[in-house]
Amino acid sequence: MSKPTVGLFGLTGCAGDQLVILNCEDQLLDLVNALDIRDFLMASSANDTSCELDLALVEGAVLSKRDEEKLQRIRARSKALMALGTCAVWGGVAALNPQADRAKLLEEIYGAQGAEYDSLPPRALREVVKVDLNLTGCPIEKEQFLSAVSSLLNGDLPIFPEYPVCTECKMFENNCLLIEKSEVCCGPMTVAGCDARCPTMGIACVGCRGPVGEANIPSVLAMFGEKGFPRERIAAKLRTFAPVPGDHS
Amino acid sequence: MSTKIQVEHLARVEGHGGISVELDDGAISSVRFDIYEGPRLLEGLVRGRSYEDISQILSRICSICSVAHSLTSLKATENALDVKVTPQTELLRDLLSRGESIQSHALHLFCLAAPDYLDYPSVTALAADHPDAVKLGLRMKKLGNTIQETLGGRAVHPINAKLGGFGKLPSVESLVTLREALLQGVADSEATLKLLASLPPAEFCHTDTVFAALSSPVNHGYYAGDEIIVSSNGHRQSVPAAAYRSLSNEQAVPGSHAKHSQFKGKPFMVGSLARLSVNTQGLTERARLAMGELGLRLPSNNPMDNNKAQAVELVHDVHYGLAMVDRLLREGIKQEGCVPVRPKAGTGTGVTEAPRGLLVHSYTYDEEGRITAADVITPTAFNAASIENHFRFTVEQSATKDVLVLRKKLEMVARAYDPCISCSVHLLQRRG
Repeated sequence: MSKPTVGLFGLTGCAGDQLVILNCEDQLLDLVNALDIRDFLMASSANDTSCELDLALVEGAVLSKRDEEKLQRIRARSKALMALGTCAVWGGVAALNPQADRAKLLEEIYGAQGAEYDSLPPRALREVVKVDLNLTGCPIEKEQFLSAVSSLLNGDLPIFPEYPVCTECKMFENNCLLIEKSEVCCGPMTVAGCDARCPTMGIACVGCRGPVGEANIPSVLAMFGEKGFPRERIAAKLRTFAPVPGDHS
Repeated sequence: MSTKIQVEHLARVEGHGGISVELDDGAISSVRFDIYEGPRLLEGLVRGRSYEDISQILSRICSICSVAHSLTSLKATENALDVKVTPQTELLRDLLSRGESIQSHALHLFCLAAPDYLDYPSVTALAADHPDAVKLGLRMKKLGNTIQETLGGRAVHPINAKLGGFGKLPSVESLVTLREALLQGVADSEATLKLLASLPPAEFCHTDTVFAALSSPVNHGYYAGDEIIVSSNGHRQSVPAAAYRSLSNEQAVPGSHAKHSQFKGKPFMVGSLARLSVNTQGLTERARLAMGELGLRLPSNNPMDNNKAQAVELVHDVHYGLAMVDRLLREGIKQEGCVPVRPKAGTGTGVTEAPRGLLVHSYTYDEEGRITAADVITPTAFNAASIENHFRFTVEQSATKDVLVLRKKLEMVARAYDPCISCSVHLLQRRG
């Protein structure tokens, strides 16, 4: 069987998910041997920018007309498209305050010229094109990325966790930062897959992987309420990396 | 007759940018380092957020410099809230930032810049013919990531460095493992030096250059200190961190989100070469010798020397990092908690050296600890004017005006700066 043709792309973001791929130092040479990487601007100056791709890996959010058109071109030439990282999957930090007056901020930050900049309200990839697979994380986890690529190479669909960070925290027998230390921990509402990195180091989860489908939101909010956390603080914290499910305010 | 030298999508850099130089009858009419990142407006979007949330949000400005953004953010908030961290916290943050620099320099030298010198399009193409060199680079890169994971909890967007200290202090076992990796790193840094010394010379332009870097005379570090030195032809001028605005006369530039920084009307260069120029005396003996082995003479008038300067810093950081880990193992880790942090109204500025140069975060908080203003100035924003300046000299000083030859030269000059374009869109907020 011939190697699958692959492209790696970045829209607006921090390039952290492409960096995680380059950080697979022990697997990188095997990875590039298993794939036929045709288009990867961050790593190569010889790219085929028009060939058909079996798989496009795209990180970053859509924040400009330029991003939007680039994503549409990538989609048109790709059989499958995987969103990499929280910005691509949920919008990420650039979307942390959807109510913000962006025209005003552009002017404040860049001066009168800001109005001329190519700027659109942040969108996740699936709000612009069809997305086949979503690999979340800020940044993505190396092991999850490698196992997803292995699954695809074997003709399987990758399996991602569908339970909250709390489940992993319990597996590590961590003390609960929310219940025992009354810290605003987003673990109960955040999808696992990070081995509960932050709580394991004594740091409250900031929700950087985005929401988990099966969260019992009313019960978590009630618990936050019992702890006396100010409502607006919780709302802001939960909306830092992704929208809160069912929250349209 | 007009000629345009254009690189629409600059490859092998972090982020999205381009180069365009226009000539009219052989004379340069326009020089641009274009930035195509969409504005993320993070400095504006964080307004109203709690002091506790800021470093985790603003570290997301950049991945390769995420440790620098986190630590600079913590420094700014701690200064604003009058928090003084312990010497052990200072030491661990210093070591963490050296991990970031090792990773970033190895990524840049081996994966982004080296292919140019040896005429390959990418590191993977390079690996086919020079597998040992690429494996060496990947080992150095991994060493940097091991330091970042051990102390920061994650290689990209660290989590463990927090206000007042660290979430979890490193265990003795993890330091012993780190020590072994650093010992291998010392050997690998020797091989890196040999490799860099064997690359063909790159001399595209020569010009007097002004440099700016955080003063670090004792150990040539990235984290500690709050005095910026601007160095020009041996003349040194001191700028306190809180006066960082004198380093920047913000000019918005059409077609680019980078505002151009100048010091007294002159563009200046930040990054490894600037640090070496300012902090030579803080280098380890081995690193100082390495300068001679690479033929690096200071003050340098060749921007391509930034690649050599990064190699010198790699040597310095593995040696100094090893000494730091030895000290931690000898003296033991004090099991101390974080210094308590309480909200209050105030303004604070944090300045550090990201791998690619001077980084400033400056915040104002209200009495409840909500941020009311945030300024972030990144190394590539500082460098933008200097990059364009060196583009101009490269074209002017080139014997040939062949577009393809000039394109490659300009790309190599841009890459030597190790630009971080995601970073560069974050600029000064206009005031008044």
